[in-house]
Amino acid sequence: MTGSIEVVYRGIFQKTLGQRITRGIVLAAVKEGKVGISFGRYGDSPERNGIPAKSFAVVADNEEDLQTYLSRYEPTDNDVTVVVDDTLCKGVESWAWYGLQPINKLTQPGGVVLTTSMQSPEELLEDCHRKDTEWSLAVLKGIASFSGLWVYKDDHTDVRVLGAIARLAPHVVKLESVEAAIQDEWQDELKVTSARKAYERVETRKVGPDEGNPEKPYEFQLPKWWEMKEGLVIPGIPVKQDVEGWEGGYRPGRNPTFKKFATRTMRPVIDFEICTKCTLCWLQCPDSCFDVTPTGHYDANMEACCGCGVCEAVCPVEKCVTMVNEAAFGDNASQFEMYEKDTDTYKSWLKGKIEDKVTTDRYHGFQLRGKYEEEVQEIIREVTK
Amino acid sequence: MSVSTKAAPVADQEMLISGCAAIAQALRLSDIDVVTAYPIRPYDTVMQAVAKLISNGELDAEYIVAASEHDQFEIVKHASAVGARVFCGSSGVGWMYAMEAIAVTPALRLPMVALVGNRALDDPGAFGCEHNDALCVRDLGWMLTWVDTAQEALDTALIAYRVAEDRRVFLPCAIGADGAFLTHSEVLVKVPNKEKVDQFLPKYDRGDKLLHPDNPITIAPQVNEDWVMEIRKQNDDAMRRARGVIQEAYRDFHKIFGRQGGNPFVESYMAEDADVILFGQGTLSLPVKVGIRKLREQGHKVGFVRLRWLRPFPTPEVQETLSRAKAVGVIDRDYSFGSPNHGAVLYNELRSALYDLPNRPHVISFICGLGGREVTLDSVTEMSEILLKVAKTGKVEQPNYWIGVRG
Amino acid sequence: MATELTVLPTQNLEAFKGVKKLTVEEYFTSGHRTCQGCESALVMKLMAKAAGPRTVILGSTGCMYVANTTYYSTSWVVPWMHTQLGSSGSAAVGTAAGLKVLMRKNRIKQEPINVIAFCGDGGGADMGLSSISAALTYPEYNFLILMYDNESYANTDIQLSSMTPYGANTTFSPPGKARRILHKRWKKNVAGMLAAGHPECRYVATVDASYALEMMNRIRKALTIGGPTFIHSLDPCPKGWDYDPIQSHDLGELAVETGVWPLFEIEDGVLKFYGKSKGIAQGRKRKPVREYLLRQGRFAHFTDEDIEYFQKKIDLMWDRWLIPGAVCIEMGDDIRKQLARAEQEVAAAEA
Repeated sequence: MTGSIEVVYRGIFQKTLGQRITRGIVLAAVKEGKVGISFGRYGDSPERNGIPAKSFAVVADNEEDLQTYLSRYEPTDNDVTVVVDDTLCKGVESWAWYGLQPINKLTQPGGVVLTTSMQSPEELLEDCHRKDTEWSLAVLKGIASFSGLWVYKDDHTDVRVLGAIARLAPHVVKLESVEAAIQDEWQDELKVTSARKAYERVETRKVGPDEGNPEKPYEFQLPKWWEMKEGLVIPGIPVKQDVEGWEGGYRPGRNPTFKKFATRTMRPVIDFEICTKCTLCWLQCPDSCFDVTPTGHYDANMEACCGCGVCEAVCPVEKCVTMVNEAAFGDNASQFEMYEKDTDTYKSWLKGKIEDKVTTDRYHGFQLRGKYEEEVQEIIREVTK
Repeated sequence: MSVSTKAAPVADQEMLISGCAAIAQALRLSDIDVVTAYPIRPYDTVMQAVAKLISNGELDAEYIVAASEHDQFEIVKHASAVGARVFCGSSGVGWMYAMEAIAVTPALRLPMVALVGNRALDDPGAFGCEHNDALCVRDLGWMLTWVDTAQEALDTALIAYRVAEDRRVFLPCAIGADGAFLTHSEVLVKVPNKEKVDQFLPKYDRGDKLLHPDNPITIAPQVNEDWVMEIRKQNDDAMRRARGVIQEAYRDFHKIFGRQGGNPFVESYMAEDADVILFGQGTLSLPVKVGIRKLREQGHKVGFVRLRWLRPFPTPEVQETLSRAKAVGVIDRDYSFGSPNHGAVLYNELRSALYDLPNRPHVISFICGLGGREVTLDSVTEMSEILLKVAKTGKVEQPNYWIGVRG
Repeated sequence: MATELTVLPTQNLEAFKGVKKLTVEEYFTSGHRTCQGCESALVMKLMAKAAGPRTVILGSTGCMYVANTTYYSTSWVVPWMHTQLGSSGSAAVGTAAGLKVLMRKNRIKQEPINVIAFCGDGGGADMGLSSISAALTYPEYNFLILMYDNESYANTDIQLSSMTPYGANTTFSPPGKARRILHKRWKKNVAGMLAAGHPECRYVATVDASYALEMMNRIRKALTIGGPTFIHSLDPCPKGWDYDPIQSHDLGELAVETGVWPLFEIEDGVLKFYGKSKGIAQGRKRKPVREYLLRQGRFAHFTDEDIEYFQKKIDLMWDRWLIPGAVCIEMGDDIRKQLARAEQEVAAAEA
């Protein structure tokens, strides 16, 4: 008998977190006399900041049962899919392949998607794609834990997820063994408490095949060998796209097969009323995501925006560009079109997004030495209460 | 180095030149565009000859003296991508130094032609002929041919461009030429006139693979496991197609120049009725032929088959020419330490090619002439006698022999 | 020789006169797969925009290869080809030579085509240095080699390169319990080295994408002046430097403002500082490097002494180098005296 857990995370920002969780599962399983492996999805390496990546833990009663997993990139029948940033519920698009993988695609029938989130299950189900079979959505309350490559923000998300897994899939690991493994690994009683509290607090909701985001995820058909151009040749991108109804303005050609819908954790909202058309957001965007509108405004195209926030950083006008949690959005529509169509509606929409502290109070990683330490204390107080 | 081109000689002429100089004549006739040089013995005499052709106005090409063999091969690789006909080459460890650039070329489908003036690999530093340098590319998608005379070197260089640049192929081609014996000896060579060459060799047309602002393409992105097998399969297919294109090229060559009318892939010498056959490539064919004539005089039915193209390997021709023999001895001017029967590269290639025959001859491995040591008439006799004994007894006492080694 | 040297005309790309005068077209566009806030991707975008449509770009192995061009799609509008890690110099020479000879033989239209080869710091300052050095000696070919320096082998997993700053955390220099600092080398000044050693190279510059207009205009100058040219760009890397991607732009500015990254150009052998570095060279106060270091996780293990050491090295560069950022040589007493004498003589003669 085997058990398999996948952890879907934001590349680099949550690399250490993902590894800690899958390693923790194996170390806990060992306490029960089982064997196990922990591995990252090879194709995600080298990881890119923010681009979805995965880590896996497979545990089994004996070595023979493990063998089929030892030469695979990605187990396809996971008991639990752990999502450590709830914006990933919109799907997984690797940097190394094409197509959008629904978050629950590799969760086995009847399995659980567990996410750390401040959203309600109903809100999350607007993002999670539909699945043919029944599955469960479990929520562990908390904001996404982000740090970087070198400085880990130890806010106990790792052990909390382990505690929740013990509750959701006791046949994979039991709470006692999770606790023992945490004690061994970190010699930290407070971390054990966090795990136990998470075990108690995780909430689960059954999801039927008729629930969830009905949108058909983008799929990519791999061509046959004779359909590919010889000599490793692929056509370049046309320099410009025509936009219906536009006179003037400019929308650059864009890579049609790789869009950054699944890379963003935040997106810029733009107040076109106060924009001075200074060009800086457009000029400094590493992803060339801004379309130049016929009015000379710059509209962040959600096909191309990866949510880095450089536009907010360079904008000289206060509150003209504001980064907002990606979870606050249900589509990828053009903000400028909305603004043109009905300025008042746009303005109140914009106000709602900017003033909602829950959605704006979020950042990506290391900003200044000491900042993590300050924040972590408060978080730990909360989760161990 | 922009130099105007003088009119090339009109009539066929006979010149007393080395194998390397003969290839330089082929390059002049092919009107190559970019050539890169770096010194290493023995191949570099071709670059010296090309430099003279350019400074004398007989060839208009960019002559780039590179800072290393790696640079050398990378420079022509990129020149080839923008549509230039290119030439390059090296020897021994120089060829190995360039190996990264050499390895990437076939998948890019760039029809580079390169001369390998075969030389033993360091250490110990040695100048003499050994085939291990060129053989390093036998699995990479390079076409690989060996020549045994200066005339064949010239002819093969022209054929190499024709085949490599054929859009059904678009693969690089390496010409193996034995260091010293072929690269440095001057012999009489028939040098054809330019009009005939133009008739044989069309201009290099890269078509929709041309890197140019008028054809905005991206070449050679990074791939993952979703793509590699398909790309390798494309290369495999191109190498399979190369066989027919080579045959076509030799047919046309014979028609236009009156030479190279025999089998493009193997040269069969007194092999039709032979009981035992020696098999090898490069200049060792010359003493072997002499030795065989002597043995024939003594009534021994010995023959010789020279492999001309190692890639694509001419399995049908090899089977056809060797299947009637009782024993075949493969003379390897190379080594493959620890390989089956401690034989060497050609031996194992050949045994594999014969395996499917219903009646296959015994195959014996002879390692001979390493580091440029001469393959002598005595060696030929020794090898033939071993084979004759095998043929007579039907027994292989020893699968591998080092011939000409002291001790 | 001089009579036989033919150099093809270039496109004569005039400087953009302000951000509002920029061309709107992108020749490196969206849909690449770099990290959020990747400054090197921005460098690619600005480089392509500055060069325009009649350009061929060669990219050596590194992030800007692997992340930008993942097979079966691309983000390049202009023609682009991969080259090997150490081959940016060779790629530039081969492409320029091929185009030149084919134009001479009338096999393709005669027109100026920009050739740009780029490499990362690993490809440029480590493995490819010899090939770049060789390339910069060919006066007859027009090309630009651009080194985007994100201070590590960022694509392979953040391993240190010869351009990684002193003491930084990389996967090859992790701070540990016994040794806090494993990497004690100081990075090379590649632009200065290449300018000093290659008399045929008419233009060398350092750039920073946080100053986009200045950067693009330097690229345009390099492509216009003719012959082989070299530009070294410092690119903040959110992944390897470990910072929130929103800070990319600020860190690019801080690198200049702290004096860590001097901006200069050397045109026909004459060096000029530009942008904020000009003021610094004239004596304006630099921001403390501490401000720069504390915002990056790769320096999180630095003690105050480490920060002080770093500051001292930067001070030394500005105070003692013959040319800060470019030539890490001081004049000996003999030369100083000789120069002083010469000055006196000139002054006396003028008087």
